[in-house]
Amino acid sequence: MHTDSQREPALDNAAPASVAPPRSHKLMVEFTGSGSEYFRIWIVNLLLVMLTLGLYFPWAKVRRLRYFAGNTLIDGEPMDFHGDPKKMFKGYVLVAILFGLYNYASNVSATAGLVALLVVAGLWPALFKSSMQFRLANTSWRGLRLRFMGDLAGAYKAMLPIFIPSIVSLFVLVLLGDDQMQTPPMWAGIALGGTMLSFILVAPWLLWNLKNYQHQHYAIGTLQTQFRAKARAFYWITLKIIGVALLTTGVVTAVVFALFSNSDMLFAKVQSIALGVGLGMLVTSMVIKPYAITLMQNLVWTQTGNSSLRFISQLKARALVLLTLKNWLLMALTLGLYWPFALVATTRLRLEAITVKTRNHPDTLVAQEKSKEGDAAGDAAGDFFGLDVGL
Amino acid sequence: MTSSSPLQAHYFDGQSAKAHPVTLHLDAQHLHIVGEGIRTSVARTDVQWPERTRFGIRAAHLRQGGKVQCADAAAWDQWLSSHGQRDSMLVRLQQSWRAVAASALVLVALCTAMYLWGLPLAARVVVALIPHSVDAAIGEVALQSIDEHLMTPSQLPLAEQNRLQTAFTQSVAAMPAGSLPEWRLVFRKSKIGPNALALPGGTMILTDELVQLVEGDAQVITGVLAHELGHVQHRHGMRMVVQASVMGAVASMVLGDFSTMLAAVPVLMGQAHYSRAAEQEADAHAVQVLKAAGISPLVMVKLFTQLHALRATPEETSTPANQDDTTPSEGVLGTAFASHPSDAQRIAYFTSQAR
Repeated sequence: MHTDSQREPALDNAAPASVAPPRSHKLMVEFTGSGSEYFRIWIVNLLLVMLTLGLYFPWAKVRRLRYFAGNTLIDGEPMDFHGDPKKMFKGYVLVAILFGLYNYASNVSATAGLVALLVVAGLWPALFKSSMQFRLANTSWRGLRLRFMGDLAGAYKAMLPIFIPSIVSLFVLVLLGDDQMQTPPMWAGIALGGTMLSFILVAPWLLWNLKNYQHQHYAIGTLQTQFRAKARAFYWITLKIIGVALLTTGVVTAVVFALFSNSDMLFAKVQSIALGVGLGMLVTSMVIKPYAITLMQNLVWTQTGNSSLRFISQLKARALVLLTLKNWLLMALTLGLYWPFALVATTRLRLEAITVKTRNHPDTLVAQEKSKEGDAAGDAAGDFFGLDVGL
Repeated sequence: MTSSSPLQAHYFDGQSAKAHPVTLHLDAQHLHIVGEGIRTSVARTDVQWPERTRFGIRAAHLRQGGKVQCADAAAWDQWLSSHGQRDSMLVRLQQSWRAVAASALVLVALCTAMYLWGLPLAARVVVALIPHSVDAAIGEVALQSIDEHLMTPSQLPLAEQNRLQTAFTQSVAAMPAGSLPEWRLVFRKSKIGPNALALPGGTMILTDELVQLVEGDAQVITGVLAHELGHVQHRHGMRMVVQASVMGAVASMVLGDFSTMLAAVPVLMGQAHYSRAAEQEADAHAVQVLKAAGISPLVMVKLFTQLHALRATPEETSTPANQDDTTPSEGVLGTAFASHPSDAQRIAYFTSQAR
């Protein structure tokens, strides 16, 4: 018997749903995956992917997702992943063709490459929505499929902040196109500089838009989530992350400089600069990335919910940073074989930081309608173009 | 055990989130789910059985929607196996540490074989399919950028340039007709020290510094150019591109989830390995050309001895900082981004070929 203390009252003695009192239930999230178990799944998956020259990839992915979903217990009840590898395989073929055409086009000529880029960028929001739909519709809890309620127009609207500066800069480049030899006029410089600046300035807003689009449209049964975080909160955590980044890279640079400043050989200086850059990148992945993940997860999930359902995320940055450092160390010592253990440990820490508060007893949830499945191509596109569907 | 032995489990109908306590019965054709107000049968083929794992709750998905679930994994496994439900090959593989260790070994062997033979072979095949006009176009762009950043027009007298060009033309004329690619020789003054480069498409760059280093010895220059011609002949530049992109794809699949930076490490290491292999191939080509022209491969030993002497006294040369002193064998001769076998190895190679 699986030992889980929350499980007994919540499920096994469940009274008929109609008499459940309207008090608050706290549903704990628990992750029961094991590193050694996933290690074996991972090795076998990798072997089969290699032997089949990559064709096995969708099957491997389904087995991975099923393992992780099946070991994610909310209130003692596991989630399930139902994705059909055959459907996903077709999606991969479709996206691979798209990707191939895109690569080919950029090799043929700059103009063809630009057109291909525009086509992919134009399809992107549709793929994003489709990928969300596929992922959610194929995930269930207590036998109920989740749903993603976002529509196509919403996906395009969410990505608007990136489209406007892109179109402006593209327009400027096209206007300049013919007379590239002479120095570009002042207005073009200002316009391009302005759009560059606006790219940077709108980045947190874009992220907010995307998260807003995602987190307003998760649904299970009759419940749909809302997202209450404000865009200014995203600007605030961006500032915090930049602050921590400056601080840590500053410290690293100072240490490197102190170690090498007494050596006046040119070569030592060049080496210390290279060392500093390398260390800076390492620090970014080991400290700043987990810090940013923590802030983002806590902000986004704690602000997700509705009048009867609420998520709370209390991930500790210190814990995630320490875990990341440990993972890096063991990854290096085992030449990467530690990866499945690292993934399981990180998933456990991140998932178990989340609790769900609900006023309705889970038993009262009833399926709303047959959920639309979306398109496996969207999911495949997520893998190809590095589109992160995220938690 | 008989086929009637039941299992206590929970049933979710897919319509409501409520868990129904049920008993499961399995016969040859069907799974029967029986509980309070529930009596349903599902064909065994319409049940998606879970993979047996060491931990966790067992849940089987039903094609019609819904699932049956049992928290007691041991009871579930015992119940299924008593009904003749065999584990899939895959599950048996990943349940045994011995099989997993064997898989890991096969995986390592497979990766090594791919790396040593598969990828170079695949790159050869892919490059053979790419038209030569692509090489030429890439080479043209590369030459432009080299002229902008790394080199200035040659200051060698035209007569000297012609003498070297003629010497090389005469030497390669001894090779069988049609065995050599199209080539073009250009002279440049270098900002990065003595060097010779081969670009895709057949353009070879010879620097004034290299000519001065070997005191204008036409035989040594012929050897150097024959080496560069080897790069052109084998389309090493193009092969590198293919190999790097395949390795990048594989590495990012295995390690990319963890860190894209880490995924770059095997790619860089692999590139250095392939580059050394390419240098050896080009050296072999140089030996071939030299021998056909009746020149001893020992002339190359002179080159490497000179280069070695040059590096031993780095202060006296105007080698800029981008020449990394810790790895002196790199970046002096050969393609732009190459890593090379050590001078000692190459001297030994050319000496042995001279016998």
